Amino acid sequence: MPQTAIDDRIVRVDAKAKARGEAMYVSDYAFPGMLYAYMIRSSIPRGTIDDIRVPDLPEGYWFITYKDIPEEGRNELWMIQKDWRCFAEHDVKYVGETIGLLVGPDRNMLKYLADRIEIDYTEAEAAITIDDALALKGGPIIGEDNVLCQLYVEKGRPVEEVFREADSVFEETIETGFQEHVHLETNGAIVTIEDGKYTFYASAQCPFYIRKAVAGLLGLESEDIVVKQTTTGGAFGGKEHFPDVLCGPLLVAEHRIRKPIKLIFDREEDMLYSVKRHPSKITYRTALDKDGNILGIDGLVIYNCGPYLSGSFVVLQRGVFHANGVYDIPNTYVKGIGIATNTFPSDAFRGFGAPQTLYAIETHMEHIAKRFGIDPAEYKSRYFIKQGGETITNGHVVERVVLPEMLEQVLEKSDYRRKAATYAPGSGRGIGISFYNHGGAFTGNGEQSIIKAHARLVKTGNRVRIEVGSTEMGQGFQTTLRKIAASTLGISIDDVDYDNPDTSKVPDSGPTAASRSTMIVGRLIERCAEEMKERWGEGDFSVEKEYEHPDGHPWDQSTFRGDAYLGYGWGCCAVEVEIDSLTHEVNTVGIWSSHDIGKAIDELVVHGQVNGGIIQSLGYASMEKMENRNGHFRQSSMSDYVIPTSMDFPKQEWGLVDNPYQWGPKGAKGMGELVFNGADAAYIDAVERALGIEIHKIPMPPEDIEEALRDAQ
Amino acid sequence: MGMTYVPTTLSEALHLRAEKGARPLAGGSDMMVQSKRGIALAPEFPYPVMIITSIDELRGIRVLDDGSVEIGALTTAAEIAASEDVPWHVRMAASGMGAIALRNSATIGGNIGNASPKGDLPQPLIMLDASVVLSSIHGERRMLLDDFILGSKRTALSDDEIIRSVIIPPHDFTYSFYRKIGMRKANAISKLSLSAAALVKDGEILDFRASSGAAGPKVIRSQDAEKMLEGHMVSEIPELLPAFLEAWNNAISPHAMPLYRRNTTKRMLSFFLSEISSGAEEGIIGGGEE
Repeated sequence: MPQTAIDDRIVRVDAKAKARGEAMYVSDYAFPGMLYAYMIRSSIPRGTIDDIRVPDLPEGYWFITYKDIPEEGRNELWMIQKDWRCFAEHDVKYVGETIGLLVGPDRNMLKYLADRIEIDYTEAEAAITIDDALALKGGPIIGEDNVLCQLYVEKGRPVEEVFREADSVFEETIETGFQEHVHLETNGAIVTIEDGKYTFYASAQCPFYIRKAVAGLLGLESEDIVVKQTTTGGAFGGKEHFPDVLCGPLLVAEHRIRKPIKLIFDREEDMLYSVKRHPSKITYRTALDKDGNILGIDGLVIYNCGPYLSGSFVVLQRGVFHANGVYDIPNTYVKGIGIATNTFPSDAFRGFGAPQTLYAIETHMEHIAKRFGIDPAEYKSRYFIKQGGETITNGHVVERVVLPEMLEQVLEKSDYRRKAATYAPGSGRGIGISFYNHGGAFTGNGEQSIIKAHARLVKTGNRVRIEVGSTEMGQGFQTTLRKIAASTLGISIDDVDYDNPDTSKVPDSGPTAASRSTMIVGRLIERCAEEMKERWGEGDFSVEKEYEHPDGHPWDQSTFRGDAYLGYGWGCCAVEVEIDSLTHEVNTVGIWSSHDIGKAIDELVVHGQVNGGIIQSLGYASMEKMENRNGHFRQSSMSDYVIPTSMDFPKQEWGLVDNPYQWGPKGAKGMGELVFNGADAAYIDAVERALGIEIHKIPMPPEDIEEALRDAQ
Repeated sequence: MGMTYVPTTLSEALHLRAEKGARPLAGGSDMMVQSKRGIALAPEFPYPVMIITSIDELRGIRVLDDGSVEIGALTTAAEIAASEDVPWHVRMAASGMGAIALRNSATIGGNIGNASPKGDLPQPLIMLDASVVLSSIHGERRMLLDDFILGSKRTALSDDEIIRSVIIPPHDFTYSFYRKIGMRKANAISKLSLSAAALVKDGEILDFRASSGAAGPKVIRSQDAEKMLEGHMVSEIPELLPAFLEAWNNAISPHAMPLYRRNTTKRMLSFFLSEISSGAEEGIIGGGEE
């Protein structure tokens, strides 16, 4: 077998099995005597449960509720905190909250029984929007003020002082909506007992999270639970903590029933009753001098979290830490609030809180530029943060920032300067531009203090097996990681195995999230491979490595001061649009991007991520509208919640810059979320220029453009 | 849950319809979705169903002696989009329905029978004065499609009838316009649609028609508004336009997105008429493509 070099163009290792339909998704598994489960959920956003009437259950059917949790267990799912209940008890806090699990051998009968379960509620007034929650509509859901979590960061001089020196103050509020993940494979899991241990087969990003989340339901330790990841057909954050919500009730059921039980959501359940991206309301108040120079920014970032915390505080932190975008603003104060509402809990989604604030700061900066008659690209570039520059958390950018070079790439390829100068505002044609970054891996010293990732390489003869808890979910990590191992060892990628993780067999290398897999786990495998290469002649052996924190990244998690991230990916994107003057349909005619991801481990995988991330971001800005009426999501299918098809956005021109990252494998750093973080703002900038108006929210389908044009008159 | 039948002739189907009350299922692209029940469960219909896809008598497109075009109820959107015999507006609508797989299975009979205000085909068909041929064991009757569709999801179909075909009378338009605004560029349900057409001879508007889809409980056509233009000279359009647009605006009744649907309809009609009055070249106005 030829050796695989890091820059070889190779076919993704999972491509053939997936294209042939041979890959086994959780829905494809069947076990002897397997039962099925159907989730019974709350149909109101807030209230008390007065009575549940279950029809007589035939032999072999069960209705599992919180009452089935054994005495030694607790009705809680341990995500970051333990506030999310496995089953509602006497009250419900959102539409879709799990009340019970119907279990039995025939899905037809389950459906029949589900249709005949009657639940009486006393409904209370619900708080759905951020404004509802701030106004304590229906009374507080949490504490006295609905604040689930909050933080602030401060840089430079006190902003009150700076605002007193301002010639003008520009304030605006920018809002973003829900976004549904629309992973092609819906959520699903199977519970069974293997070798005396509760064992899950699950479509999941983080098998080790599931163990931790559910063990306490039965008073067990996480080591008592085994989780085997099944081939996962997309996740985007929607399978980070959310599989816990399926696996918890399944475990309680398994404790009673002790037969394999399968729970698969259909598309409608997956759309209506799963986590979404946090809607946001972000206000910037910016102090300016007479020439439009920024003296300071006072920001308020509010995320709609739903009634349970799940990952929201970390999401909010990331939002606040990205609230200055790629800019070095001399004085800032940004406060973040995670507010409790009676919507389905919001949780992780590609970008993890950063897209909301990045969209808002980009739009805000662009609005300031236009008010002072300065081209947004020129204006924004004046504030680019540089190596050594102070971040919003009083840390410093450690790496070389090559934004000016990336900007040049995009300006040249897109012909931005000419187009920006010649397309008149309101002419129906516009080009927009945005800049963005994404802090790689866990916040601050989380990799060191919380995760302490491990990875292992096992050599058997001339074959090498990767043992990590990281998962392939469509992003290409099996290819990326095998390539790192093979090229470091100087062997063929075909001689490297990497199976879907089984928590009883692999070390915990942390969640597959936070753009950390290549950067952190990839580096661990590179280190394992470096040692293995030196000892290659020793026969069969294994090498395991633990995460080592690079020096010089101080961080205080209690005050949120220091280096919030170990390194950043950087991006620049330009989008050109034409808008139909009759229908306001937006035709995107060009997309150009440049990204600094340190080093591309596999160019085809990176290309897929760039294309997909940008299109997902453009969908977020343009057409992906998820409305919530009194706690119920209105869009329940892929025909009323639309994501872009290949017809909607043209072929992209993309580029990378070479800027190897010191602590990443082969110089690579995180990139999976970065590529989502900025095309939305470029698109809206282009739409604003084409229409000659300012826009303050996303998404902006044609009917919302109609309203914005009316409001601008 | 009702029985499912598979008739192979029209006569058999008509008997099943009359005697068992079986409802026809062809491509299934509406009925299967409406009656879905979840993972691994077959749709369940609360009434008897007959799968009629093997009845060849209901298939195909033919030109009648008077120049009308008859389209059998089982003809798929893909077949309609590909047929030179079918009027342009209808082909445009058929080619923009759903995705390729759907166009290969969805039928004109189903699209009409489903009577969704967002349905793609009824909108141009109603503008073209198309009628439906309804068959039962007692014989046939023919009625204007505009009369057949009563409202959202409601038709004049009798319990013993099935839709046999659609007949589009011949027409001769000088100018044509068609737009569908979907939620995205392909594989999308209509957010709004408009067909318009005019026959102009020696500067006189001899025939003017329009129809709006997704702008009310059913496809909207306003004979009152159309009459405001007919018989007038093209040069009079600018002065007639405000009253015409207002009449049209009064005819439509969009429930959701009213501002967008009203204003966009107004802009499209205004554009079409302004192009005519400013002496546009004959043919398709507004870049609609074959």
